[in-house]
Amino acid sequence: MKSKLLILLMLGSFQLMSAQKYISKSGHIWFISNTPMEVIEGHNRQAVSTLDVSTGDVAFMMLIKAFEFKIALMQEHFNENYMESDKIPKSSFKGKITNIGKIDFKKDGSYAAEVSGDLTIHGVTKAVSTKGTIEVKGKVITTKAKFTVSPKDYGIKIPSLVESKVAKEVEINVDTPYNSN
Amino acid sequence: MTSTVKRFIMAVVVLAALIVFFVWSYVFKKADTSVSSQNATVELTANDLVKAFESNESTANAKYNGKVILVSGTIADVKVTTDEISVYLKEATDASGVMCSFNKVAASKNTFKSGRKIKIKGLCTGYLMDVVLTKCAVQE
Repeated sequence: MKSKLLILLMLGSFQLMSAQKYISKSGHIWFISNTPMEVIEGHNRQAVSTLDVSTGDVAFMMLIKAFEFKIALMQEHFNENYMESDKIPKSSFKGKITNIGKIDFKKDGSYAAEVSGDLTIHGVTKAVSTKGTIEVKGKVITTKAKFTVSPKDYGIKIPSLVESKVAKEVEINVDTPYNSN
Repeated sequence: MTSTVKRFIMAVVVLAALIVFFVWSYVFKKADTSVSSQNATVELTANDLVKAFESNESTANAKYNGKVILVSGTIADVKVTTDEISVYLKEATDASGVMCSFNKVAASKNTFKSGRKIKIKGLCTGYLMDVVLTKCAVQE
């Protein structure tokens, strides 16, 4: 129970039941590493996220082992050699939608959103900011974003042998449907 | 060189190329069927699995994370998205449960209904608000 409270605390969502808080347990986060040698894609469809539409606070948490690849060996290398998921099982983001005031959650539509916050990958935390969209359709809110990170910035070592197969800048995509609580 | 020798060399080359190709496709391009073909290392109830993670996450991670396990429980909720089916196992008395994700194509023949008792085999990937299992298959 203690660890659960800790997660809720980290997600900043003690008032899960308040109407302003939205939650998702099926966030789709995927990354694409594109080089002429190889395209590598990993998909995680179980990310947990909270979104407070009054303050703009947004948080994501995901399990590294839940990233799935087309090829079994890629997933093995990703977990064992690059992300060291036995030691560091989770990645997270905690930040704010800075233009939350401009988004009308009562009116259906697609809104441009600006997000900034702290991204933690492989145990290393860095400030990131990106543009995304928020789609409002009835009671369902969907957040979408795309940005790039450099594995090197997060202390992820790519052996020189496969350097040409892993992109220097990896594209991260976010597509998360929320339900109101 | 006689034509027989030439033909023999050709055959060897073709055979070698074929072997390399099959080994390559088997080892490096192997599709991810790792879970459905594996036997589960542990069998337990959804309730026990959740309790293990709630009481001590790092011990539970060492025991179950990254392993193929067989979990039995009651379906509390089913969600279908474009690529997958999420089946949520939870007993009414528990605060959290086990989130099991299935590939939509592979799981299309199954019928998931709330309240049904089921046994699911999957790869345990850890604990967020629920224990997460991926690449699941229904154990008949």
